[in-house]
Amino acid sequence: MWDIEKIKTILPQREPFLFVDEVVEIDPGKRVVAKRYISPEEYFFKGHFPDKPIMPGVLIIEALAQTSILLYATIYPEIASAHPYYYLAKVKSEFILPVFPDDTLILEARNVKIISTGGIIEIEARVGERIAAKMTASFSVKKKNESQNES
Amino acid sequence: MPNEFDQEIKILVAEVAEVSVDKLDDPNVSFSDLDVDSMKALEIAAAVEKKYKIIIPEGEIPKIKNLAQVIDMVKRLKG
Repeated sequence: MWDIEKIKTILPQREPFLFVDEVVEIDPGKRVVAKRYISPEEYFFKGHFPDKPIMPGVLIIEALAQTSILLYATIYPEIASAHPYYYLAKVKSEFILPVFPDDTLILEARNVKIISTGGIIEIEARVGERIAAKMTASFSVKKKNESQNES
Repeated sequence: MPNEFDQEIKILVAEVAEVSVDKLDDPNVSFSDLDVDSMKALEIAAAVEKKYKIIIPEGEIPKIKNLAQVIDMVKRLKG
């Protein structure tokens, strides 16, 4: 569906803070499913934790947030292609299973209510069939010239 | 006295806005005085959409300034 080059035209994040490898399903405006392979060489495993590498929950949230941006882009491609600022506003999350090196995260975002200036999304991260984490998040979107006017 | 339908929306809005129900006894009290910002207004819109099976157009959301406007909007959109 969408490869990493297409994803980079939408997401402002870059390695080592890019947490989506590919988009494998798109139901425009309703649902996006993405994948991210968690390599044993990820930088954060060096410290989290030296003897027992586990993906930090905050980075799972980041992966889910990036997937949300991709869902937003299926509804407002013109705004997304202009690279606005995305602000995570609220997160209600639950972590169910740890994510280990060599796991592949399946990230599924579903539209609750998305408008041009922000949205509310339900998202879950799975490893295989097992849910590792789920969250409801809200975010706002500001065009770059709007943000400059505020400062 | 608010009717049952108005009271139901009042309780829903209070829950989503994270304010006590009595703060909405006056349906015209401004949401900004209750720290209900634009993101919480969007959450209120999503919650009433789900409960009443309606679609709130984007242009209506900035008009959500108090409980009375939410109640009016839901009644109008439910038809």
